[in-house]
Amino acid sequence: MKSSMTVSFRLNGELVTFSTDPDEKLLALLRREGYRGTKYGCGQGTCGACTVLLAGRAVYACLLYTQQAEGRDVRTIESVGTLDEPSEFQKELIEGGAVQCGYCIPGMVMSATALMESEVCYDDEVVREYMDGNLCRCTGYEKIWVALRTVLDRRETASAKGPDPAAHPDRQTVKADTSMDALE
Amino acid sequence: MKLREFIRPTSMSAARDHLRELGPRGMALAGGTALHFMRATVPYTAVDITRLGLSYIRPEHDFFVIGATTPLADIQRYRAPRWAMHEVCRRIATHQIRNISTIGGNICRVFPWADLPVVLLALNARVVVYSGKEAEVAADDFFASQPANRFRGGDLLSAVKVPFLRDHHGFGSVKTGRTVAAFSLVTVATVLELVDEVIKGARVAVGSAIPFPRRLLEVEAALTGREATTAVFREAVAKAGAAVHWRGREGMSPEYSRHLTEVSLLDALERAATFARERVAR
Repeated sequence: MKSSMTVSFRLNGELVTFSTDPDEKLLALLRREGYRGTKYGCGQGTCGACTVLLAGRAVYACLLYTQQAEGRDVRTIESVGTLDEPSEFQKELIEGGAVQCGYCIPGMVMSATALMESEVCYDDEVVREYMDGNLCRCTGYEKIWVALRTVLDRRETASAKGPDPAAHPDRQTVKADTSMDALE
Repeated sequence: MKLREFIRPTSMSAARDHLRELGPRGMALAGGTALHFMRATVPYTAVDITRLGLSYIRPEHDFFVIGATTPLADIQRYRAPRWAMHEVCRRIATHQIRNISTIGGNICRVFPWADLPVVLLALNARVVVYSGKEAEVAADDFFASQPANRFRGGDLLSAVKVPFLRDHHGFGSVKTGRTVAAFSLVTVATVLELVDEVIKGARVAVGSAIPFPRRLLEVEAALTGREATTAVFREAVAKAGAAVHWRGREGMSPEYSRHLTEVSLLDALERAATFARERVAR
């Protein structure tokens, strides 16, 4: 009873149209169309291996129907660094020996990308909030955390020396303050 | 749940018309994450309501009005005086889920582990239902039974109205789960109205440890008119078991569910009292 249809969206900056069916998930479509950097892990929105950015926000592609991406901006791991020119975070992961089996890493990188593109304040609590939906079953997280913290500390130092963050009004600073002050 | 068709209406009335026509084969879709927990033998037609301008938070008179398709991440990020919902939303699921899951989806079909129904009961919220015209329903009535039944005729939830926390009001909520992202084992929320250390009013709600979220009227009665002390809180939470059926699951016995709820309630009451005192102190 499935009816065939198409879906159009901007994928890694390029306008694309694919055949799909109403029940297809974005993860299945991406992998079918060759974007295999986005991994199939749990398939039920728990592990984060399939994380992509939808309109700049990290989402699980395994939970998203393709039609929910219609007309929107989708970014996959293929848009972040290359083998010859890895991103800053990818470089730190390699240099820190933070990658073992590597299956979770594309999702980790996409969540970190959302963090770096959305926030100007990288408090540990904010970082944990962005990364809390990505599981790693090899490393125990320590080396991944150190690699990310290294990049974020470097950015914070550069931003303290560089232009005022207020010069980026499109960025929203979120301080996850749990004190009563935050409630007021 | 399988989808056989995907419809994207351009107005609330068109969405309602589609759902009325589809009957039991139609399903309003917002974030869509809940569909993964629903089993159905027949495929559904999804009516996407995420592009109808229902994603917003705005203060209006004495309420924060939250559009039905506002993602939980937006509620988590919103800051304003007399607002406490962000504290709750940041403890729901993971960052990726909060970015797509909506307040409407979270409360229109209540799963036992849902946190927001408990919080909205404690905050005495109101729910706006669209049935050709908008009508407000008190959270007490909305969550009196499974809200999904209310929407079988094609009606839609358009907004949730959360009252401003008044002076002397304190809010406290506690969610206990196995991991930060796991479904709650116990979720409780409370609002205390505290005047000169006397509890003038209390709303206490619990979920997950029981089959369906509800207020604990016996606990509220045991608090009202009493002094806000730990001893009074202990005495009151001991009444949590009255008229409540406790769920045992995930290795927990019903007795342990009750114990965990009482401990969580005590913590939530202390937080609410501290919250109220700090507001008065300003």
